[in-house]
Amino acid sequence: MVYEALDFYDVDSLLTEEERMVRDMVRDWVDEEVIPNIEIACRDGVFPDEWRVALGEMGVLGAPLKGYDCPGLSYTAYGVICRELERGDSGLRSFASVQGSLAMYPIWDFGSEEQKNYYLPKMASGEWIGCFGLTEPDYGSNPGDMITKAEDMGDHYLLNGAKMWITNGSIAELAVVWAKLDGVIRGFIVEKNDPGFSAPEMKGKHSLKASVTSELVFQDCKIPKDRMLPGVKGLRGPFSCLNNARFGISWGALGSAQACFDSAKDYAMSRIQFNHPIASYQLVQNKLSWMLREITKGQLLAYHLGQKKDAGTWIPEHISLAKMNNVDIALEIARVARDIHGANGILDEYPIMRHMANLESVKTYEGTHDIHNLIIGRHITGIQAFTREA
Amino acid sequence: MNIAVLLKQVPDTTAKITISDEKVDESSVSKWSMSPYDEYALESGLKLKETSGGNLIAITCGPERTKKMLTDAAAVGADTLVHIPNDGVTDSTHVQKLLAAAVKRFDSHVVLCGKQAADTNGGSTGPGVAELINAACVTLVSEVNFSEGKFTTIRPSNSGIEKVVVDGLSVFAFDKGSTELRRPNVRGIMMAKKKPIESIISSDLGVNLEASNVKMNSQNPPPEKPAGQKFEGAEYVNEVVSKLRNEANVI
Repeated sequence: MVYEALDFYDVDSLLTEEERMVRDMVRDWVDEEVIPNIEIACRDGVFPDEWRVALGEMGVLGAPLKGYDCPGLSYTAYGVICRELERGDSGLRSFASVQGSLAMYPIWDFGSEEQKNYYLPKMASGEWIGCFGLTEPDYGSNPGDMITKAEDMGDHYLLNGAKMWITNGSIAELAVVWAKLDGVIRGFIVEKNDPGFSAPEMKGKHSLKASVTSELVFQDCKIPKDRMLPGVKGLRGPFSCLNNARFGISWGALGSAQACFDSAKDYAMSRIQFNHPIASYQLVQNKLSWMLREITKGQLLAYHLGQKKDAGTWIPEHISLAKMNNVDIALEIARVARDIHGANGILDEYPIMRHMANLESVKTYEGTHDIHNLIIGRHITGIQAFTREA
Repeated sequence: MNIAVLLKQVPDTTAKITISDEKVDESSVSKWSMSPYDEYALESGLKLKETSGGNLIAITCGPERTKKMLTDAAAVGADTLVHIPNDGVTDSTHVQKLLAAAVKRFDSHVVLCGKQAADTNGGSTGPGVAELINAACVTLVSEVNFSEGKFTTIRPSNSGIEKVVVDGLSVFAFDKGSTELRRPNVRGIMMAKKKPIESIISSDLGVNLEASNVKMNSQNPPPEKPAGQKFEGAEYVNEVVSKLRNEANVI
């Protein structure tokens, strides 16, 4: 079945020609290389290495970063890329989000000139995969109380602690790790072969199965002094990265939603019950109409946020709203699409159940749905409700 | 070497075609793409350029929308982009004249095109242009190589494949080969955006679009396929064999 991207309000006509060309490039690649292979990748629980190579060759990694052999596209283009990738699979988009927004971005924004020149070209080409270590087993929504710490040993730093839920961890050449140095959060670049560092893969996921998720373990991990990111202190560092990744997710989730809508529409048109296509029944039309309504609103939200991001007139709360809303509606659309597909909706012949299971992760990672509500709640009231302590 | 590649923009093979007033309704086409055989011509042109050096000139004759296809060609490596507006063009002989004039104007040494366009399936452009510019023409080409001043092409023959070697000005009309098409990348797209498109109207090419001998009366959608037949059980074996032999002609 040929994919027809739902664009009821013709929002993509607002994109620049360059952004549309990038969209078509990624969309064609997803059609030809990702969708025919995604179910096998999920069953095997692997992220196909060819995808890393192709993303590097297309030149979309670290999309909005400029210089150091990075693509230098707009944030809107980055959003479009995320949307097209996630139409294939959220695991694929997660790979690109982590590489670009969580690993390349902090080096690009907070790294030394030497760090940028050394790491960024290899990461933009896909030669080196990066990962991002913030979340810990006991500190998810509350990263400020992290335990992982760094000690200055004179001629090197010593890292101790553990990170969890790290996308790309076991396949990464380097990790951008956030740890406390004398009680202050700092960013460190840890390389795969640094002594005392290991990244065991977490197995048994029912979600994001084509994405590698790992723990990062630091046991007296010794790293050279020039691996600390000089440009940032405190939670502002990791939060800046998360803002960019969440921005990408707000577009990406629409890709999943559009894939589910497209499949549900085709299925409803061809599935005959009581002598007529189920698409001819009012209850089914109501569901399809609701999907279109939510996707269209989400597209306008994402596009406008893209414009604000490119113009520099955004605040983190804008991103919270879009991430929260678009993932929320995408998950609900996946569920309704499953309903329209009937029993067929659970089969891997259709993308529905895979997107649904993926979106459960997407709803929780990069700031849970509830945390984003609290961010907006604080914006409205001026009262933080994350903790009972002041 | 100046390598001219003739490109046509056609309704995407996945786009729905609607007919109104006995003509294809172009305004209802949701997606326009480069004709697939032309993509193979372009890819082969890019390979020729890489191995033998030169300038790749992408030429199209069509309405304003076809400029997008030229930019797509630039994104994978076309150097010069030429758009000939199709005002006054009524049939394929006009297109051939315009393309031939453009090929000459850019001093092309070799011309590559698809064996036929995916919309009209006419197949006249390659041989037609070759006739007008007095060039050799090889059709159904799957591969072309250049060495020592000669082009070696691969094409199918009755018993397998044949090699045809030509020199001098030549037109090659491409079929789908085993060649893998390259993808654009972000760098190519960003450069393509800056590449100017030269628009040349028919009079500037010295082509007089006089009244055509060819007139298209009407276009119609293909007849709908009859519904499939389903047979279950051993008692139908004879009937199915007879149908396969006498109706489907497959055994």
